[in-house]
Amino acid sequence: MEGSIHEGRVRKWLASSPPVAWTFRQLRELLIGALRQGPIPQHVAFVMDGNRRFARDHRIETVEGHNLGFEALARILEVCYKTGVKVVTIYAFSIENFKRSKHEVDALMAMAKLKLGQLSEHGALLDRYGASIRILGQRNLVKPDVLEAIDRAVALTAKNDKAILNVCFPYTSRDEITGAVKKTVDTYSQPIRNPPSSLKRPFSETHITQHIRNQMLGEGSDDVSEQSTSRSTSPSSSSKEEKSTHTSATSTAFSPSEKGESNPGAPNFLDPETITAETLTDNMLTSGAPPLDLLVRTSGVQRLSDFMLWQCHENTSIVFLDCLWPEFDLWNFLPVLVEWQWQRKKIQEQERGRTRSKSD
Amino acid sequence: MASTGITPKESTAFRRGVVNGRPITPKEREDMLKPFLPDPPPPLPSPAKAQAETASLKPRVGPVRNFVHFVIYHIIAFVFSVFFRFRRAWRLVKSKVVALLKYHHRTPEFIQRDVKHLDRLPQHLSVILDLHENDEDQGSAGLEGLVNDVCEIAAWTASAGIPFLSVYEKTGKLKGYIPQTHRSVSQTFEAYFGARRKPTLSVRAPHVQSYSPPLTPPQSDSAESNDPTNERQHLTLLLLSATDGRDTMIDLTKTLADMAQHGTLKPKHIDANLIDVELRDAVSTEPDLLILFSPKVVLEGYPPWQLRLTEIFHLPDNKGVNYQVFLRALHKYAKVEMRLGR
Repeated sequence: MEGSIHEGRVRKWLASSPPVAWTFRQLRELLIGALRQGPIPQHVAFVMDGNRRFARDHRIETVEGHNLGFEALARILEVCYKTGVKVVTIYAFSIENFKRSKHEVDALMAMAKLKLGQLSEHGALLDRYGASIRILGQRNLVKPDVLEAIDRAVALTAKNDKAILNVCFPYTSRDEITGAVKKTVDTYSQPIRNPPSSLKRPFSETHITQHIRNQMLGEGSDDVSEQSTSRSTSPSSSSKEEKSTHTSATSTAFSPSEKGESNPGAPNFLDPETITAETLTDNMLTSGAPPLDLLVRTSGVQRLSDFMLWQCHENTSIVFLDCLWPEFDLWNFLPVLVEWQWQRKKIQEQERGRTRSKSD
Repeated sequence: MASTGITPKESTAFRRGVVNGRPITPKEREDMLKPFLPDPPPPLPSPAKAQAETASLKPRVGPVRNFVHFVIYHIIAFVFSVFFRFRRAWRLVKSKVVALLKYHHRTPEFIQRDVKHLDRLPQHLSVILDLHENDEDQGSAGLEGLVNDVCEIAAWTASAGIPFLSVYEKTGKLKGYIPQTHRSVSQTFEAYFGARRKPTLSVRAPHVQSYSPPLTPPQSDSAESNDPTNERQHLTLLLLSATDGRDTMIDLTKTLADMAQHGTLKPKHIDANLIDVELRDAVSTEPDLLILFSPKVVLEGYPPWQLRLTEIFHLPDNKGVNYQVFLRALHKYAKVEMRLGR
């Protein structure tokens, strides 16, 4: 792919002649089938970077570069889903991208609308992949007509559950994290009407005092009980009795707060201390997706650019490739996948070794 | 484009939505797509039929084809593992050669010469280090090795003229030894710069008071008071750990939830700005450049919020702290243009 896209006519003609094309297609299928034999990442994310530079390098229009980028996406999605990746997340449009020229933004929006519209014409075919589309991002930044196309495509594929395509469209990760924090705070600041029984301890105080009283009554009637037990139990029981009388005496003082739990008038909240990383993860836009295994960014830029920060900062393998996104294909993705499989195998070996050394 | 296995008729149909000079209909498009699609899923699995279906599905995949896949997979895995090993060896040799050519000789002047022609330097540099528990990695094992690494990196950073360095180490063990770290880094500075020119240093960690002992400055001030031109550099060293990432975010959420429950804050007032300000004060600002000394890019729980636009640098297959990674990271950083989505 040196120089202009129009170069290498003969080679291109040869490559696109039906028998050669057929052979390549068979070869692709074979490789994909072979990859399936190894461990496969469950969740892969792509930052589709380099469409505009590709267009500039090949002296074609920026919009055409984005079109070619969409083709690359289609190719790579085919590879992902055929190898068995469950969730693919793509960074289609950042909130920051609205700063680009109006012409380009409009063209991108039109493309999204067109492609999603085409997609919606083939409901039956989508079922073959069993993939459902989800759009992650700020809906209110999208124009109504595009939103309509989005909603149609999402609704059409909602019932598919074999694979998921997350399209991040007006998205930034900080926006997502903020949303998750807000949502969490929202849930925790809603008063609970009927406190679920799980929050309450399964023991009732009245039942315990009753039990103690019964026990004391039993002891009082039964004088023949062993000295040691009566000696040991009687002080404790008396102290408990004191406590119970104490609580009953002070119950008037405590009653507002205690009764507040059952009283619907007074606000009763979930305990903020129960907030964990899982709470936030569940409130992220990618909730329910398996942890991100692999993040690929093309075009040699080594930044996350506000993408999947929460999801990728722990154990995700992040790969930066030098090729531009429209050139990205199975042939670039294959080494990445194989290396991931190789690393995964090594990690598994290490873990196995560690458990073995521990058991020794 | 040669290798996609798509004929020109198909690609024009895909790109322009045109077949034989007229717009494509949905029906034609479906026919054209058919060969690319996977097999249709089995009809809705009713419990009684499920077993029969799996039985009928298996032969369709074919044991022969399966075996071919298996063989190819292992061939690919083998070829690549040989390739990876050779590549690692090659990179190791290359890095050793470069390390010989570019060595700092523990003199700040050499480092300054190396970075002199760079257009821009990061104002906030961050590194991820590992604590090696066992003695397999000679020289860099345990706390001592970690402190050594921190000292070296701090000295390079100060020599290059970068004012802020944050060191991320997953376990946070260093945070318990702030005075000791300060002493070690000061000693390294002295070895690099000499007692008279050595930069001042403050070491801190989130939620811990900044540690810069008042002992040294007066001493050296008296020695240098007659040299007004000498303005000494200052380096701030920030120690981060895994708790400053997700846990801090969770703490913030808890505090916000608490405030919301007491009515002092409305959930709708929470925005990215508020979180940003809070986290910046509590943990750190966004680093401009993050250097990894590990062979691959795995962030190990680095504070996520701060990573937004950070340039991430690593040298493939590199293992352990060395000067050339540091230098190449600075070089890479200087060449990069920031576009901020535009």
